[in-house]
Amino acid sequence: MAVKIIKSKNFVETDFVESLAEVPVEEYKPWPENDKLKIVGKPVSRIDAYEKVSGTASYTTDKFLPNMVYGKILRSPHPNAILKNLNTEKAEKLEGVLKILSFKNCPEISWYYDTSLLFDKNLRYQGDEVACVAAISERIALEALKLIEVEYETLPFVTTASEAMMSESPKVHGWGNILDGKPDTYVRGDVEKGFNEADQIIEEEFNTQVVVHNPTEVHCSLANWDDDKLTIWDSTQAIFSVRDTVAASLKIPSSKVRVIKKFMGGGFGSKLEAGKHTIMAALISRDIGKPVFISVDRKEMNLAVGNRPDSNQKLKIGVKKDGTITALSHISYGSVGAYPDSAGCSWPLKTIYLCPNVKTEEYSVLTNSGRSRAMRAPGHVQGTFALEAIIDDAAEKIGMDPLEFRLKNYAETDQVFNVPYTSKKLKDAYLKGAEIIRWKRRNKTPGSQNSEVKNGIGMATQIWWGGGGPPAYAALKLNRDSSINVFAGSQDLGTGTYTFIAQVAAEVLEIPVEKIKVDIGDTDFPYCPLSGGSMTAPSVAPAIRDAAEQMKGKLISAAAAILNLPEEELMYSQGLVSSIKEKDKKISITEIVSKTRNRELITNGAREKNPDGYATNSFGVQFADVSVDTLTGKVKVNKIAAAYDIGRTLNPKTLYNQIHGGIIQGLGYALFEERLLDRKTGKVLTTNLHSYKIPTIKDAPEIEIAIVSQFDPLNSSIGVKGVGEPAIIPTAAAIGNAVYNAIGKRIRSLPITPDKIIKALYS
Amino acid sequence: MNTQLKNIKFICNDSDVEINIHPGTTVLDFIRNTLRLTGTKEGCREGDCGACTILIGELINNRLIYSSANSCLLPMGHMNGKHLVTIEGLNLKKTLNPVQQAFVDEGGTQCGFCTPGFIISLTGYLLNANNYILSDAVNSLDGNICRCTGHIGIKRAVEKILQNFQYANNNETEKILLLIENNFLPEYFKNILNRLKEISLSLKEEFKATEKSKYIVSGGTDLFVQKWDDIINSDIVLINKSKEKLITEVDGKFFIMGEATVSDLINSEIIKSIFPDIKNYFNLFGSLPIRNRATVAGNIVNASPIGDITCFLLALNATVHLSNESLKRTVPLKDFFKGYKSLDKAPDELIESVSFEITSEKFLFNFEKVSRRTYLDIASVNSSVYLEILNGEIKEIHLSAGGVAPIPLYLKKTRNFLLNKKPEVDIIIDGAAILNEEISPISDARGSAEYKRLLLRQLFYAHFLKLFPEIINAEELL
Repeated sequence: MAVKIIKSKNFVETDFVESLAEVPVEEYKPWPENDKLKIVGKPVSRIDAYEKVSGTASYTTDKFLPNMVYGKILRSPHPNAILKNLNTEKAEKLEGVLKILSFKNCPEISWYYDTSLLFDKNLRYQGDEVACVAAISERIALEALKLIEVEYETLPFVTTASEAMMSESPKVHGWGNILDGKPDTYVRGDVEKGFNEADQIIEEEFNTQVVVHNPTEVHCSLANWDDDKLTIWDSTQAIFSVRDTVAASLKIPSSKVRVIKKFMGGGFGSKLEAGKHTIMAALISRDIGKPVFISVDRKEMNLAVGNRPDSNQKLKIGVKKDGTITALSHISYGSVGAYPDSAGCSWPLKTIYLCPNVKTEEYSVLTNSGRSRAMRAPGHVQGTFALEAIIDDAAEKIGMDPLEFRLKNYAETDQVFNVPYTSKKLKDAYLKGAEIIRWKRRNKTPGSQNSEVKNGIGMATQIWWGGGGPPAYAALKLNRDSSINVFAGSQDLGTGTYTFIAQVAAEVLEIPVEKIKVDIGDTDFPYCPLSGGSMTAPSVAPAIRDAAEQMKGKLISAAAAILNLPEEELMYSQGLVSSIKEKDKKISITEIVSKTRNRELITNGAREKNPDGYATNSFGVQFADVSVDTLTGKVKVNKIAAAYDIGRTLNPKTLYNQIHGGIIQGLGYALFEERLLDRKTGKVLTTNLHSYKIPTIKDAPEIEIAIVSQFDPLNSSIGVKGVGEPAIIPTAAAIGNAVYNAIGKRIRSLPITPDKIIKALYS
Repeated sequence: MNTQLKNIKFICNDSDVEINIHPGTTVLDFIRNTLRLTGTKEGCREGDCGACTILIGELINNRLIYSSANSCLLPMGHMNGKHLVTIEGLNLKKTLNPVQQAFVDEGGTQCGFCTPGFIISLTGYLLNANNYILSDAVNSLDGNICRCTGHIGIKRAVEKILQNFQYANNNETEKILLLIENNFLPEYFKNILNRLKEISLSLKEEFKATEKSKYIVSGGTDLFVQKWDDIINSDIVLINKSKEKLITEVDGKFFIMGEATVSDLINSEIIKSIFPDIKNYFNLFGSLPIRNRATVAGNIVNASPIGDITCFLLALNATVHLSNESLKRTVPLKDFFKGYKSLDKAPDELIESVSFEITSEKFLFNFEKVSRRTYLDIASVNSSVYLEILNGEIKEIHLSAGGVAPIPLYLKKTRNFLLNKKPEVDIIIDGAAILNEEISPISDARGSAEYKRLLLRQLFYAHFLKLFPEIINAEELL
């Protein structure tokens, strides 16, 4: 099939990324509604479930190679220090220690956008890497860490964005603490004019906490060299970016690096970048000629591999009596930690509600703490909590129902790029969600229930990208036993990538899912994007369809040759190629394959380009029903109703998993999770899962989900939008609004803990 | 380093194992690194995620009893004569078992890393419960954290399993046979009872303390979180459960052996008969695998200012029975704590048992606890109260509070004030004022001092609101 190379611009996590992509010239007609499909849209069980429930699934942390040795990392105990001296003599003498890597013997490898090195003498947060020991066992490596003598010169430090902004504060790097020296600013219309036109102006301030991804499997890598070829098994969401970072760091061609990941225990954004430990494993392995496995422990997980930045947000909204929003402004400050990242959170405010006059200023501020990384819907989770609270407050101020207020300010088009959406069914989602939660039950006067335990209902909206796009490729191989192998360099984080790939191929070829074997998570396979930004399914599924459609074409072509009939006269259906004219002239895949002898049929598919002049976004709403014990301040979430426009449902079973999981992470963000940092010492207090609280099965509420979309007709021939991130975005905001509805007091900072509730009620 | 090797015999899944090993080696390290059974995962190494959950089968009075435990906190020494079950030991030859199949069908697994732990825990429930109740089955998973599914698919899987399989019987042997018959367990479970009996005949004597002994390990649920890397380099003593009765009553006097676990306490018929709500109190304590291992003595000697068991026992005005080689003595629990993490106990003394007396048949009791996350969390503040009422007046009261001082507090002044008064709103408000003077909370990760004061007042009120709903109402109090 004819292809061409285009410049493709896709939204990845927090930014547009432009890349050259090979796309098919001709595009397929979108599939019809799911009820007309046979396999896609059905609740197919995970094809990799057997391995997971039987314990045979081999994760990176389970890999074992003969002669494998173990690495452990020594980290700075200080929030800001200079490494004056390092003495590894005693550690080297410990029996079983094979290599100690540090600034003394490691080549200078640039890190954090050239602001630091793999081993840097400037240690800018508690957890910055000092040295790495490789030994014959993990225990000996840990013992050796204790024997390394380090001389630190401790320096003054700064732990919060507000402190860091002060001119007299210590500078995390030589330059100022505000990234780029200024906020990221956006202006639409004239906010002053907009506020002047308003009947009511509401100004509020919100704070959100730092939270940590804490996937169940820790970050880990196993590196092994054969001659000049390096293989890395890595718990990663992005095999190709790990490959490229490793190749660049070691100054070797990327063709010499192969990165493999079959199973992984979650990532949530923290595993989108190559880790320093991965480079260390590769370097030491090359040096000592043995496979090196390095994993971080749970404490390091909570110090050094990323987090969702905190936020301080000042919002201002102008509304008319009739409910029209006239102006919105937003100033946010977020601490990105010790190295550059983005802490912006204005996007939802720029786009969700119709508003001609908008101004936002996003400050990303450096502090002496662990650097932030993309975490499930970066920015949107923080921004939505504040936005959806002030929207409720504005509705209350003018005496309007919060749902009606949102419908009144419904945006039909994308206001930032001034283009239409490929599809938007948020209105349907609002109405469906309200019906499920029985919105009319809510307290007309917040806090008015006359009981010790008070119930409340609240809602919140979400917007995200998740349209995906090229480049994404896949190869199909038809085997002699008529089964199919799919090869694609995508990753399954537990999200269901394996399963939907099999479903799409099976749908096109009209054969059972069991006939499809999916091979992903290997850089030797055709390129697919990293698994983040809710773009795996919308990017990869169309490439699978293309490859499968081409396979159908090849089967027809082969059948034409075998049956001596013109291709135009043949049609493909359920594993059979048959003549349109003469019904008895037909041949099955199995027969075609046997006739082709050893020649397997192979096709390559590509994701088509996104339509020009459109924005693709997912939309959704969550309604929360909560109870608040006014005596003890305990909040119980009884039910979440979630209604979404996410285009086509590929598999309701895996889709619901994703939504459930996002909601519970959102619940943790709303009520429990918080990285606490002692401002006096600059040290993290919550370095384990004992102090860092993830929701348990007992905290999980009832969840009811409604998908209001059939498929997106314009984004791709599959019409699926991603859901991983949309699922978490509105939860904390909906719970916050429900708590307000229950007790009549607004908790403006997250998490909403019992202490904040009883202080609000009794202080 | 590592001098103290011990010979340990046990069954791992279907295989007999005999090994010389440091008894403080964690079971997790042994099964993953030595046996290379990697279905058991390491998630946190501190008993907070449940990815490493395994089952222990042990002979108790000639019965084979299984319980779940976190293998990261479990010393190999405790496996002597036991049956260790990992996820690999639950796999059938040809098909998935019904628990595994339900997890597949109902979306109970996503990234899959936590899944073996969940399946182990649930199988432990099926082996343990005398009759299957959905909420109990779900609660048995409170020590397993899933970061992907939101637990909803897992709950549905549990529901489906119980819909398809119901059973009520307290005979372990019959239960095991039935679980084998229904494919929940592989065939080899049939012979475990006899195999364990055989092993028990050849077991070497128990480990004894020597002057070199650095750690005394009972349940190990806190020690192994703090000191696992040192334990393995030290000489240790393991305390094994005695075969005698762990909880007894004689004429209103109750004795709890030091090595009784929190689960033993919750499941004790004797305790249940006097504290019908005991399960509700201590379902707020850790998680099931922790409750299965954490001991009463451990909770006391840990000397945490917010120990839940200590808080409970303080309000029963309990007595601690100590012993060493030569001496036995008793100390009232309220006098046992000398200062932060400091006890009236010599290093060689062990808590043999704890006792308390209940003289009135109509006593009232309540336990309250608030933490950031309701379950599987350390309290910000906890409090217990014991009350006897005569002619509408408080004839006896014991009140305790945790998290509001360097030690678990017995609230003496508040007690004295309330004694012989009527439980009425004004009295309780005045009592709260005295309570406020009696405590000295500090600000920490679990809350500010100001908050803890406010919270204890709320819990103090909650006691009376719960115990005297006819006399006291919230609006008047607040």
